[in-house]
Amino acid sequence: MNEQIESLPVLPIKNSVLFPGLLMPLTAGRPSSVAAIDAALASEDKELLIVTQRDSAVESPIVSDLYAIGTKAVVKRMMRRQDGAVNLIVQGVERVALTKIEQTEPYLVAQVRLAPVPEETNTEIEAMRRAILELSARAIQLAQPNAPIEVTQMLAENEEPLQLTYLIGSVLGLPVEKEQGLIEAPTRLDALRLLHSYLLHELQVLELRNQINVQAQGEMERQQREYLLRQQLRAIQEELGETSPEQADAEMFRKQMDEAQLPEEVRKEAERELSRMEKLPQASPDYHVIRTYLEMILELPWAKSTEDNLDLAHARQVLDEDHFDLKEVKERILEHLGVLKLNPTAKSPILCFVGPPGVGKTSLGQSIARSLGRKFERLALGGMHDEAELRGHRRTYIGAMPGRIVQAMRRAESNNPVLMLDEVDKLGRDFRGDPAAALLEILDPAQNHTFRDNYLDLPFNLSKVFFITTANTIDTVPSPLLDRMEMLRLSGYSAEEKMEIAHRYLIPRQLKESGLTDQQFILTDEALNHVIGRYTREAGVRQLERAIGSLTRRVALRFAEGDTTPAIVRVEDLPEMLGPERFTFELARKQLPPGVATGLAWTETGGDVLYIEATLLPAGRGLTLTGHLGEVMQESAKAAQSFIWAHAGRMGIDPNIVRRSGVHIHVPAGAIPKDGPSAGITMATAMASVLTRIPIHKEVAMTGEITLRGKVLPIGGVKEKLLAAHRAGVTIVIIPKENEKDLAEVPADVLEALQISAVETMDEVLQIALERLPSPRPDANLEMPAPVWQQTPPVPGTAEGPLS
Amino acid sequence: MSLFFISAEAGAAMAWRPAADIYRTPEGWIVKLELAGVQQEDVNVVTSGSELFISGVRRDRFVEEGWSHHSMEITYSHFERVIELPCDLGRASVSIEGHDGLLLVRVIISHEEER
Repeated sequence: MNEQIESLPVLPIKNSVLFPGLLMPLTAGRPSSVAAIDAALASEDKELLIVTQRDSAVESPIVSDLYAIGTKAVVKRMMRRQDGAVNLIVQGVERVALTKIEQTEPYLVAQVRLAPVPEETNTEIEAMRRAILELSARAIQLAQPNAPIEVTQMLAENEEPLQLTYLIGSVLGLPVEKEQGLIEAPTRLDALRLLHSYLLHELQVLELRNQINVQAQGEMERQQREYLLRQQLRAIQEELGETSPEQADAEMFRKQMDEAQLPEEVRKEAERELSRMEKLPQASPDYHVIRTYLEMILELPWAKSTEDNLDLAHARQVLDEDHFDLKEVKERILEHLGVLKLNPTAKSPILCFVGPPGVGKTSLGQSIARSLGRKFERLALGGMHDEAELRGHRRTYIGAMPGRIVQAMRRAESNNPVLMLDEVDKLGRDFRGDPAAALLEILDPAQNHTFRDNYLDLPFNLSKVFFITTANTIDTVPSPLLDRMEMLRLSGYSAEEKMEIAHRYLIPRQLKESGLTDQQFILTDEALNHVIGRYTREAGVRQLERAIGSLTRRVALRFAEGDTTPAIVRVEDLPEMLGPERFTFELARKQLPPGVATGLAWTETGGDVLYIEATLLPAGRGLTLTGHLGEVMQESAKAAQSFIWAHAGRMGIDPNIVRRSGVHIHVPAGAIPKDGPSAGITMATAMASVLTRIPIHKEVAMTGEITLRGKVLPIGGVKEKLLAAHRAGVTIVIIPKENEKDLAEVPADVLEALQISAVETMDEVLQIALERLPSPRPDANLEMPAPVWQQTPPVPGTAEGPLS
Repeated sequence: MSLFFISAEAGAAMAWRPAADIYRTPEGWIVKLELAGVQQEDVNVVTSGSELFISGVRRDRFVEEGWSHHSMEITYSHFERVIELPCDLGRASVSIEGHDGLLLVRVIISHEEER
């Protein structure tokens, strides 16, 4: 019965297995396959054998290339295509075993034996069937979550276990080997078990795939959601007539750009940056960099300038109101105003105020701005050591900013402010660059109309800026920088000037600060003079103002405590209110012993009086110098010594003393560095005094450079030195003849109080300074034998005039 | 993908179903089947309870030497149709006759049985 043998044309197929009872669409192109199909169609039953190839690459399979179990099938539909290939739908009928090949050409014909899987039913088969149904329901759920529930139901309705196995096996998309395994399974149970294992594996794969999908979808959904929300936000804003923040920014900038009068080059650059900005989302860091840059460009006063007040009378009045004296500076300002009146495009001057602290350099800048009607901006250069601070950082750096100059211009809001560069002498420099070098460009009228800040990278015109620099000393200012500036010296004030300043400015200001009226607080002139002389010692008026401030506060306290009688501050009250006198006139060294001479020095804080001491070192040798003296001053001391040695005889000095003793010169205060040649005559006088044992007049002070020949050369800082001498109570001052012209700067009251002797030679100095003249030794005309340490041999016959 | 297609067809299992009209007649029933090209000896009709089993095979006998198919839409091979009628067919006599490509299955039910 089951030994039914048939001969059937064979259609070998690739990559899939036809199961009995199932339909399969096929396309046959191989001539042998087409021939086999033709043969099948020519038969009455349209039957053929569908069998799977072991290797899909084989084109002309022989029997060993085919699986031994195949399916007898009926052709249900067929259609020939243009290219000769055949499309057909076949339906599996029966599982068959291939027993023999009967024919190979033109197509395979095989003898097959029907090999149906025996029908059997038991509990295990039913259990497997249900398990498979359950698994496949889950698999369908995972593979196609949207698949209608009917599919699962349809499977469940299929009562025939083998049919179910084949159906599920065919839809799982299993590899050919596994499908063939299913069809080869000899019993139902084997087929069901096989399918069960396939399904389990498939289910795991599906679950994993599903998990991956869920994760990926979660990520996608978040982005999608954000995008959607943003789109909605945009839509809402549009609906409300608002634009997006980026557009709003861009529009605002565009509007501002139209309103601002930007130079052509700047405008182009700004527009380029703006169009770049529009393309960026607001969250981008570059967006904010560009935004800041545009804001800076728009805030800068490219073409905005204040109108100068050219009323000369008004300017003069303002300057006089704010500052006492300082004629030279005020004249210079008024000159510039005059020039501006005639030539409005004139370049602004670059001034440099040099002077001790507290003389009003900074406040003078402010009043210049006020008198011109310009904006005032101040920039402290003290301690600045980085070029980039002045010139800015390039925009490529994170957090880059424009330099201080450009920032000052932005604050000033006009391109012609008075820009004060304070403390230009205290610029630092290090490996990061030299800010002084950057200042060279800024302060050069020939270059500064195209000043390029690193951040802006656009030329900015600084030529209308009125630059004022201040310095305490010009020694530390690089000479190329100094060369660019017009120097105006503000030296210290005399006591009389200070009185005037106190009355005009300091006392009213301090009264206002303390909340007093000028009826409530009266400072007598005598007391003020005492404060100036005994409580302060300075070139400027800062300490004085502070002292007056503490007086007014004292009085204010009294008023606050209830005592409302007007306070009159007299000299007697000062120790109680300000404490003991802080300075005594140096003249208090009542009598100067031989060897002490009064010198005058110039310092950054004004002039000063110093006492140069010389002493003999018995059995000593050479010249010892102490007091932190600079090289120039040491050489000056040697020159003074050589002069005295050379003229010892004429001065009645015992040569033996000179030969056997060393000289020590000390310049107090020992901790303060001193330099310069201007103490030459003072040191020589001190030496002459110690050697001749004749003291020096205590009221005589002197300054001047000495030569080996005993000539007195001019020095600097005459005004400060005379003011210092006056302060110290000196009455006679010796200055070099050539410095006489400088006396014009000295306040008249000082000149009046001092007896000034302008000298040309050392002999004149000694004549004035020494209490009595030494009598020349009998051998006065003989030259001293040159001491061994003396470098310059004395020239014979150089007695330069008599000592009388 | 082809899950629907295959499962729908799979219900038909291995045989195809010819279309049928069923008439009630004074004698009993006539089932008219669309079965052209089927020879009467290839058709087998069996009754069981109230069900009528019609099965058979359509063979393509109209082929001559030298012909080859260009396309094929007619379904050959085994067909099967089960028709349930609202009465017991235990005593019914069944005959078949061909008529212009239609197959008529005549079911005659004895009157006394019906009463």
